[in-house]
Amino acid sequence: MTVIGRAVGQSVRLREAPERVTGRAIYTHDLVLPGMLWGAILRSPHPHAVIRAIDVSPALAMAGVVATLTGEDTADRYLNYGPAFADRYPLARSRVRFVGEEVAAVAAETPALARAAAAAIRVEYEPLPAVFDPAVAVAPGAPQVLHGPKLPWNVAQHTTADWGGVAEGFAAAAHVVEGRFEHGLVAPVCLETNGVVASWDDAAGTMDIWAGTQAPFFARKEVAHLLGVPRERVRLRSVHIGGGFGGKSQSPEPIGICALLARKAGRPVKIVLTRREEFLGGKTDHGKVMHLRSAAAADGTLLARHTDYLVDNGAFTHMGPAYISAVRQRTANLYRVRAAGFDGRLVYTNKVPGGSYRGMGAPQIIWAIETQVDELAERLGKDPLRYRQEIANRPGDVTPQGFRISTCPLVECLEEAGRRIGWEEKRANPKPWRGVGIAAMINPSVGVLYPEGNFANVALTLRADGTFLLGTQAADCGTWQNTVLAQFAAEELDAAVERIDVLHMDTAEAPDDLGSAASRVTFVTGGAAIDAGRRMKAEVAARLAALWAVPAEALEFAGDAVGLPGDNARRLDWPGVAALLGPIRVEGHHVIDLPRADPKTGYGHYAATYGFGAQAAEVEVDPATGHVRVLKVVVVQDMGRVINPAALEGQMHGGIVQGIGMALSEELVLQDGMPVNTSLITYRVPRIFEATEIDCAFIEQPDATGPYGAKAGGEHSINPTVAAIANAVAHATGIRFRRIPITPHRLRDALRRKEARRLDLQPWRRPYNLEVAAVRRLYPAIVFPALKKLGASLQRERPRVTDFDHERPANLAAAIEALNRPGRRAKLIAGGTDLLVGIRQGIYGPDLVVDIAGLAELKGIAVGDDVVRIGAGTTLAEITEDPALHAALPALAEGMELVATQQIRNVATLAGDLCQEKRCWFFRAALPCYKFGGAACPCYAITGDNRHHSVMGAGRCAAPCIADAAPILVALDATVIATDGRRERRIPMERFYRWSGETVLAPGEVMLAVEVPRAGPAQAYEKYAQWRGDFPEASAAVRLRQVGGRLAEARISLGGVAPLPMRPKASEATLLRDGLSDEALRAAAEKVVRGALPLRDNAAKLDMVVAVTERALRRARERLQARPQGEDERGAQE
Amino acid sequence: MHISLQVNGTPHRLEVRGAETLAEVLRDRLGLTGTKIGCNAGECGACTVVLDGRAVCACLVPTPRMDGAAVRTIEGVTPAEGLSPLQQALVEHGAFQCGFCTPGVVMSLTALFDRVRLPSEHEIRVALQGNVCRCSGYVRLIEAAKAAALRLAR
Ligand code: FES
Ligand code: FES
Repeated sequence: MTVIGRAVGQSVRLREAPERVTGRAIYTHDLVLPGMLWGAILRSPHPHAVIRAIDVSPALAMAGVVATLTGEDTADRYLNYGPAFADRYPLARSRVRFVGEEVAAVAAETPALARAAAAAIRVEYEPLPAVFDPAVAVAPGAPQVLHGPKLPWNVAQHTTADWGGVAEGFAAAAHVVEGRFEHGLVAPVCLETNGVVASWDDAAGTMDIWAGTQAPFFARKEVAHLLGVPRERVRLRSVHIGGGFGGKSQSPEPIGICALLARKAGRPVKIVLTRREEFLGGKTDHGKVMHLRSAAAADGTLLARHTDYLVDNGAFTHMGPAYISAVRQRTANLYRVRAAGFDGRLVYTNKVPGGSYRGMGAPQIIWAIETQVDELAERLGKDPLRYRQEIANRPGDVTPQGFRISTCPLVECLEEAGRRIGWEEKRANPKPWRGVGIAAMINPSVGVLYPEGNFANVALTLRADGTFLLGTQAADCGTWQNTVLAQFAAEELDAAVERIDVLHMDTAEAPDDLGSAASRVTFVTGGAAIDAGRRMKAEVAARLAALWAVPAEALEFAGDAVGLPGDNARRLDWPGVAALLGPIRVEGHHVIDLPRADPKTGYGHYAATYGFGAQAAEVEVDPATGHVRVLKVVVVQDMGRVINPAALEGQMHGGIVQGIGMALSEELVLQDGMPVNTSLITYRVPRIFEATEIDCAFIEQPDATGPYGAKAGGEHSINPTVAAIANAVAHATGIRFRRIPITPHRLRDALRRKEARRLDLQPWRRPYNLEVAAVRRLYPAIVFPALKKLGASLQRERPRVTDFDHERPANLAAAIEALNRPGRRAKLIAGGTDLLVGIRQGIYGPDLVVDIAGLAELKGIAVGDDVVRIGAGTTLAEITEDPALHAALPALAEGMELVATQQIRNVATLAGDLCQEKRCWFFRAALPCYKFGGAACPCYAITGDNRHHSVMGAGRCAAPCIADAAPILVALDATVIATDGRRERRIPMERFYRWSGETVLAPGEVMLAVEVPRAGPAQAYEKYAQWRGDFPEASAAVRLRQVGGRLAEARISLGGVAPLPMRPKASEATLLRDGLSDEALRAAAEKVVRGALPLRDNAAKLDMVVAVTERALRRARERLQARPQGEDERGAQE
Repeated sequence: MHISLQVNGTPHRLEVRGAETLAEVLRDRLGLTGTKIGCNAGECGACTVVLDGRAVCACLVPTPRMDGAAVRTIEGVTPAEGLSPLQQALVEHGAFQCGFCTPGVVMSLTALFDRVRLPSEHEIRVALQGNVCRCSGYVRLIEAAKAAALRLAR
């Protein structure tokens, strides 16, 4: 008999850990096949356009280009051909519908060549009106994207239902709460971008594919369909996968394109998406607008809930219908509700198509529901946690959608989460600006999503050496599921878990399985692994019984061996079995087969069981900046039975931290349908400083339907996180947000609306503001469209380069010679952190880079009695690590610690920080803006998302100064020393900039050093950025100097808020007049925004800059006061 | 342009293009694919290698500059047999999932431990702030790094 607990329930280590921690694991990106070519994809720059013509001849004319592919090559075959919703070709045909849509592809000898060749393809477009807002898309007269069968334009799917009498519920209600909730697009952001290697064997007519995909089953189906060959001719192969989270589910387009390209080229082809491409074309989570109403009786009973929701499908249908149903499930089944109704529309827009991302819309709909549960609790005068326990689902419940709840410890989960976060105490005696919030979740374990049922098959082979190979088509994207599957097989065989090897993904070695999606692998494929173990035992027992002439039932599988109890002669370890019987292969099966839910409404009990859980979060809000810090998250999850505690805890940690990102910072920002924040700086995924304390607990009530009683778990962790954090923020601030993420800007805006006191901006103090304000008013309707049109014809082209010469001059003179060499477009490179990135973005286009990183003449820190001289080529790390510099210029040394990351500080130089180009996301996306394309072009920041732009001093360009060192060096009254090789020039730091990222240095001039006068340690730099190391939203540097006990000088300089490092003279005067009392500091800080003229989304920066100024002033004052008597004389000597 | 560079103690002579980065050369020319590329923009840390004792993003190092230089990669800090104490700690603590970030994490921590004997949790976070991990939530990464630091200091 099997002893439960040998493998199951143990924290078995990740099987693949040794390969991964040593870098030996081979991911798709790492594969090289003999004769392999590189593929690149040409993508649409337009959100909506007719393709008039495609000319691939310039690409084919390039030496080393082997094949091109366009829509003409792809036959009349849609992607995603299974579902009724197929609407997309692998490459655009006659029309493009979103920025980033695949238009053509190239295979060439090198990656650089492939990219250059793709860019050389000429496409003639005729732009069409486009629509981006789903609410606009369903209004009459909207541009027409696509539509579903028998549906109006732009509607892909429309489902409605009324279960249990919604109108009656609302009619009988004592309390009704209502709200509109919305969110934009979030992206899975796997650290490994999508990649694929395809290899066609012409003789055999077979295709081998290595790809980071969650579902080899679907990828194979798709590729076979596109190639027009039987499925059996396509083989998906095993690789390591660098994250999935839904982002690699179904079949991403590059797989199909790569397969077609490889067949056409007759050689293997590899395509790896860039990070930007991943955001543009990799599919995102869907955006949605949810209108939610909840009705409760006087005693709190939930009588009805109605949800109206518009889901942004993007330009094509992939996972939209599944998304609609995932959202629907939560509206009718989380908490006891008597009636539920919904009206859900999936709407086409000219945006990147929605795919799937962990949770599939659940985190956001749960956020909406849980906000209303909190609001109802408040109306009812009940504690939110107790109220949730009252209305929690319980075992035996049947929900309005027809879900039959079996095991359900939701009440216990809530109780335990509350206990662990310290709920009673923290709700009763809240600390200022701290809050705790709670939320719950429901997730099917697991649903029947496909006509064939939710099925899994695995192969289990006893190999000649006595080890087993478990083959599965489920793909482990990092979730440890291969380890868990091995545990199931080991448990069933009572074999050592190390004896079970796992080969995932390989369609030739393993039978069909739907793959890794919807948290299904442990639950369904796990069932198949157990079944395989059983069949293996039966097979082995039958054969041994025949040989030994004993009844098969008498044989026992125990202790990593098999035998007749009490008979040592008839006992074999597994190598012995293998030696005696030879290799044995069995297949295990498992299927969740339930009656299909109603296809129109989704009514029906459609999962084997349902998992529940609760999370509690504690947050701290900085009211001055709007920053939310998550102090702790508690998760208590109903798991049925925990198979691998370490693996499960990892799923919890990962999902919760992704939830923190979703709640507070992650959203794709689009300009005319084009994502502009396609980098890991501007699309803000949590980094290690955002990681919080996480307390995990699991409630184990084995569920009869699951493997060893387990329930599913992969997505559960992220589902209630957003809601718990939002409720905690509401507890801390009294504000309920209707839009996520709750960015510092939005939180600050909301706080400001509640505050009685306003900052006094006095915009008339800058007469120029009148003109600027007038132009801004005309911008949306007149100026922007006119300049866009004008710019389209008059725009200055910037050369895009894929290669350049690199020179390492031996000394400065040689560097200056190279920089000024006639006929060349030379640029200096030191750290390279701006130049190389800028070249890839199309900002810079040098044909020669002059490497000055090693030049001794530019290096070094000299701390003199009166002046500190810092070589322009000194790295930021060197600045932060120099003790003498720390003592002399603490503001600079501390400030540089807050720049970027350790890797960047190790190479980036002081001059590089000062001279880096502007970081405006429109400019960096190479949009033809005023600064990118020239004077005929518009500024996108006036009408676009301008949260990070200037709040003052902006005219035709609103990019702010984001060089951290700039305001510091202005406050410290530094001088830049530059040379053109003939003569040195001293430039006061205050006059160093013309504009954000533009200096007064002449093209051939090189910065030599910065000289900073020593004026005592009463100086400070404070900065606000949402993540440590990010560019400043607002920063302030301060230097104070006393002479004879009186404040003789106060210099303040601001960063992040204006195109130049600003000096707020009125604030400085206030200090000189009123001294350094708290009141004077506050008054001076508030005056820094005099003359500001914020844009639509960035008013929060005003509060942020006031806050950092006050902090910097306080710290400088502290330092002033901490100085021993008589020390202020040094300052006096200057 | 011709360069000679040392990778993990082994000299290589190569002809490189101006725009070729160290990450590309390591991966595509020398087959050292343990160094990953997650962003090619210095933002994710997957490509972290150690140069002159410091962690740097190989995707932002122009290879021509590497003439005469020596670089350590994940392959160079991995013992021929088994795992280094740092790698061992990461495995024991279950500090990663997909592992795509892991070589970069190992290199960032290698550079830190070489400079600081017993780093504080804050120093560990500062060292890893440039390493994005989308899977792990960082919690066990910090635990593992602390454990490894202790082990190495002993
Ligand atoms: S690949 Fe170099 S930092 Fe991301
Ligand atoms: S383990 Fe996947 S990114 Fe870190």
